[in-house]
Amino acid sequence: MAIPVVAQHLEEPGHLPNKGKVGMICLIIGESAIFSIFVLAYLFYIGKSQWGPQPKEVLEVPILNTVCLLSSSLTIWLSERAIEHNLLMTFTAWLGVTIALGSIFLVGTGWEWYKLIYHDGLALQTNLFGTTFYSLVGLHASHVIIGLIMLITLWLFAMTGHVSGKNSERIQTLALYWHFVDAVWVVVFAVVYVIGR
Amino acid sequence: MADASLPIGSLDLTPEALAEGTFREYLHGWVTTVDHKRLGILYVLYALFFLVVGGAEAMIIRVQLMYPDNHFVSPEVYNRMFTMHGTTMVFLMGMPLLFGFANYLVPLMIGARDMAFPRLNALSFWLTAFGGILLYYSFIGGFGLYGQGSAPDVGWFEYAPLTTRTYSQGHAVDFWALSLFVTGWGTLGAAINIITTTISMRCKGMTMMRIPLFCWLLLCTSALTLVAITPLTAAQVMLELDRYLGAHFFDTQAGGSALIWAHFFWIFGHPEVYILVLPAFGVANEIIPVFSRKPAFGYTAMVAASVGIVFISLGVWAHHMFTVGMTSAANAFFTLSTMIIAVPTGIKVFNWIATMWGGKLRFATPMLFAATFVVHFLLSGLTGIMLSASPWDWQLHNSYFVIAHFHYVLVGAIVFSMLAGIYYWFPKVTGRLMDEKLGKWHFWLFLIGFHLTFDFLHVPGILGMPRWVYTYEASRGWASWNMIASVGGFIQFLASGIFVWNLLYSGLHGAEAGPDPWDAWTLEWATSSPPPEYNFAVEPVVASRRPLWDLKHPSDTDTQYE
Amino acid sequence: MSTQEQLAPSRSEGAHGGTGVVHGDPVQTHAPAHTDSIHLPRPTAYPIIAALGFTLLVAGILTHYVISILGVCLLAYGCVGWFREVLPHEMHENITVRVQEISIASARKSVGRLPGGAESGGQRAHVGVGAFSPLVGLKGGVAGGIAMIFPALAYGLIAQHSIWYPVNLLGGAGVSGMTGFGNPTMQDLRAFHMATLGFATIIHVISCTLIGLLYGSILPLMPKHPIILGGIIAPLAWTGILFAALPTINPEMSAHISWPDFLLAQFVFGITAGWVVSRSSYYRTAKSLPFAMRLGFEGGGVGREDGEDHR
Ligand SMILES: [Cu+2]
Repeated sequence: MAIPVVAQHLEEPGHLPNKGKVGMICLIIGESAIFSIFVLAYLFYIGKSQWGPQPKEVLEVPILNTVCLLSSSLTIWLSERAIEHNLLMTFTAWLGVTIALGSIFLVGTGWEWYKLIYHDGLALQTNLFGTTFYSLVGLHASHVIIGLIMLITLWLFAMTGHVSGKNSERIQTLALYWHFVDAVWVVVFAVVYVIGR
Repeated sequence: MADASLPIGSLDLTPEALAEGTFREYLHGWVTTVDHKRLGILYVLYALFFLVVGGAEAMIIRVQLMYPDNHFVSPEVYNRMFTMHGTTMVFLMGMPLLFGFANYLVPLMIGARDMAFPRLNALSFWLTAFGGILLYYSFIGGFGLYGQGSAPDVGWFEYAPLTTRTYSQGHAVDFWALSLFVTGWGTLGAAINIITTTISMRCKGMTMMRIPLFCWLLLCTSALTLVAITPLTAAQVMLELDRYLGAHFFDTQAGGSALIWAHFFWIFGHPEVYILVLPAFGVANEIIPVFSRKPAFGYTAMVAASVGIVFISLGVWAHHMFTVGMTSAANAFFTLSTMIIAVPTGIKVFNWIATMWGGKLRFATPMLFAATFVVHFLLSGLTGIMLSASPWDWQLHNSYFVIAHFHYVLVGAIVFSMLAGIYYWFPKVTGRLMDEKLGKWHFWLFLIGFHLTFDFLHVPGILGMPRWVYTYEASRGWASWNMIASVGGFIQFLASGIFVWNLLYSGLHGAEAGPDPWDAWTLEWATSSPPPEYNFAVEPVVASRRPLWDLKHPSDTDTQYE
Repeated sequence: MSTQEQLAPSRSEGAHGGTGVVHGDPVQTHAPAHTDSIHLPRPTAYPIIAALGFTLLVAGILTHYVISILGVCLLAYGCVGWFREVLPHEMHENITVRVQEISIASARKSVGRLPGGAESGGQRAHVGVGAFSPLVGLKGGVAGGIAMIFPALAYGLIAQHSIWYPVNLLGGAGVSGMTGFGNPTMQDLRAFHMATLGFATIIHVISCTLIGLLYGSILPLMPKHPIILGGIIAPLAWTGILFAALPTINPEMSAHISWPDFLLAQFVFGITAGWVVSRSSYYRTAKSLPFAMRLGFEGGGVGREDGEDHR
């Protein structure tokens, strides 16, 4: 007859947090721990390479890349806002810009690696700098790639009209991941191109 | 399909229905399930299987050490045994067991119908399962480049530079790193799922300060897992980059540091101990109040202490490394931070005793195990405090004293508590009570065996017997201690046999349990045993920490005291 | 008390848009009538396929790259299948609820009560739930921590002519090497160091909070003489432990400590903390009760117990 439990005063635990967002935040915390280990290794090995190219000699500060990636955080926020207000065209446009900016970053990184490998002779095996540099930047780049794949999938769905304002919480969750990727770049940039150089 | 995929004996009054589906359909139901209860059962069965496997490896170690100058197994096999014993018990037994408990119980306890991400839950389990299979495949498929190597054999913490290509030529180390890389993602998924479930899936009225302490402890464990298992994953990636692509992370020839592996490993390794022990706390927190007929003493203090342990345990890892020659500042820091953990754990021990004090105690098998857990945890904590003082550790590091200390935690505290949990929730899972008589036999034999083994192992440690030693000369004076420890080991193995028999026998012929055999107070006892697929026909609403108390004593509910 | 429960569920499968939101969460949002059906996520093989794919991908590194290729294929197949499982609509199955009466009752009828109040509205002896708060202890710890600063600084000023002396000692306990305190001179100990001040503050705050928490847990149980227990005996005990242990842990630091003054500061902490705890309203009720009651009990211990326990 009765509900399983008697309750004199019905109390709600309040509005429970969106589970997608909670899950994403947990994933971000876990991933941050992975990154911090690689960052620690990078910091620990600064200046310990016994031979081969040193950061000062070969690294150039990737200003354009950084500007692109950081501004993509802004553009994805604009697209989040657009979908919240059900402005599909604006959403798709800003999402497209985000993807473009992310792609520029990836191409830029690829270009940087090409130069380092073929002109400066710095590979993963060369020395400790190569080991820590390629693993840390590569780890970040792989996150950018995963993020881009998801963004492109979302964009394709939006282009074919499968996205509506009802999906905005889901999209915010995805955007959260992208913001995380950008925030990590700030750390990587500081460690690799400012402190380590 | 319809009948075949019922959870084993859900409250189906016609169990013959199961027989109608073919075995293949039945199996299909288990393989494709996303039901948190079935995945919980799978986790626990998987863990119990590896408990037997890891236990058998321990037996081989004990036989080898029984006599001086023994050659029961070759040194190579012996190395594989202790490496695989440690790895198995931590990664394939301990964590799956706790995630099994969490999977089955957390949604029931907070009044939810499933985990937050049911498919991720399935993925996490199967990653753990396949990772374990991959690890054990190394016994037959482990030969590598030079036809050498088999199972991992350089100790469960795989210290560099022993893991470099130079010293470990086969694929044994790669098997260790990569299979645990796979299970690591499964673990991460499970942790995310448990946290999200606890935060986002609570039923009406189930505020955070009303969820059962078990759920709080699992929340803390999962939070710790998030930040502890991932550093190991990162370190394993580095190790594999070293071994496959010629990177230099742990390559001392190129300026790399072997020590940094130790740091990375123990950044994971110490919190891991707390990942394993916090659920054991949670189980005790559920069982002790019910069998003392009193509410848990100091709920908020317990929560605060648990959260405190999570944070402090992240800053103590280097107490495993006192002998590597850190600065005296680092030694002092890690000594002090380790000792501070005694405060929150002290609060816990104290609260359990306070819960029992003046209560109407009833020592059914679950309570026997849970009460013993408290005693063992206290004793292991005392040797832990001894070892946390760096000078003491310099003397006893990597000796059998350390082995005895951490087995006191892992077996005496964690295994005892988890066994208590199995005896306690078995009726909920199967609808049948476990046999009390067999349970008592199991308890007393296991207790005697445990004390014979691990009490007496402290002594050869003080006498200088190092861990991982293959054998020893008679003149060392360690022989009789080892003999006693081995005999105790066999008694524990025998007791575990009784336990397995009890599981099988009671699962088929045990007395009907009914929904609430222990007269308990948390929500999982408000539904039938075993619970239906959807847990609760109507979503429950709670108004206090002990919803079933309120139901049973409508004139005197807990709500008026909150 | 009874509740409606189910019998054997029967199911019908189908994709079903849950709550309108794409990939909504029907599990939580439905509160069906008793004979209604409940949506649960449909069993799916894609997670196990994806897991197998990932494992094979990794196993290929160990064995042969062909295995990795197979793994990638399986992983992709699993991911796409999974994706289609949840988008655009989450796949459910409907499980019909069949109702069965479950009674939730206890054989134990009597509840332990405070003296003077039987069933007629007497308050249930009840410490475990709600009434007890470690915040009281926390408050005590904070108050004590603030109070003990003064005797410590006074000692520094009077005996060592510098208020930084005790600060440096405490901060140096954690970080003696890091701050260049390997072998501190008296000069060093009297000077101001930002790092030791920082570390000293952290150590002080953490230990005061934790000990306050411990106080909050223990004092309600032994409330007869809170000032003596919390203010004298406990500080004596831990000062003794520290006095014995510190020469092993950090001999440098131990040599510089004046133990009588140290003990005095601990007394101030203990007495202040004990006094704050003893002023709390909870504590004052608890003081008048017998020990077992302070621990909280019900259905036994002190009160009578009806109903046998058969299990
Ligand atoms: Cu540790």
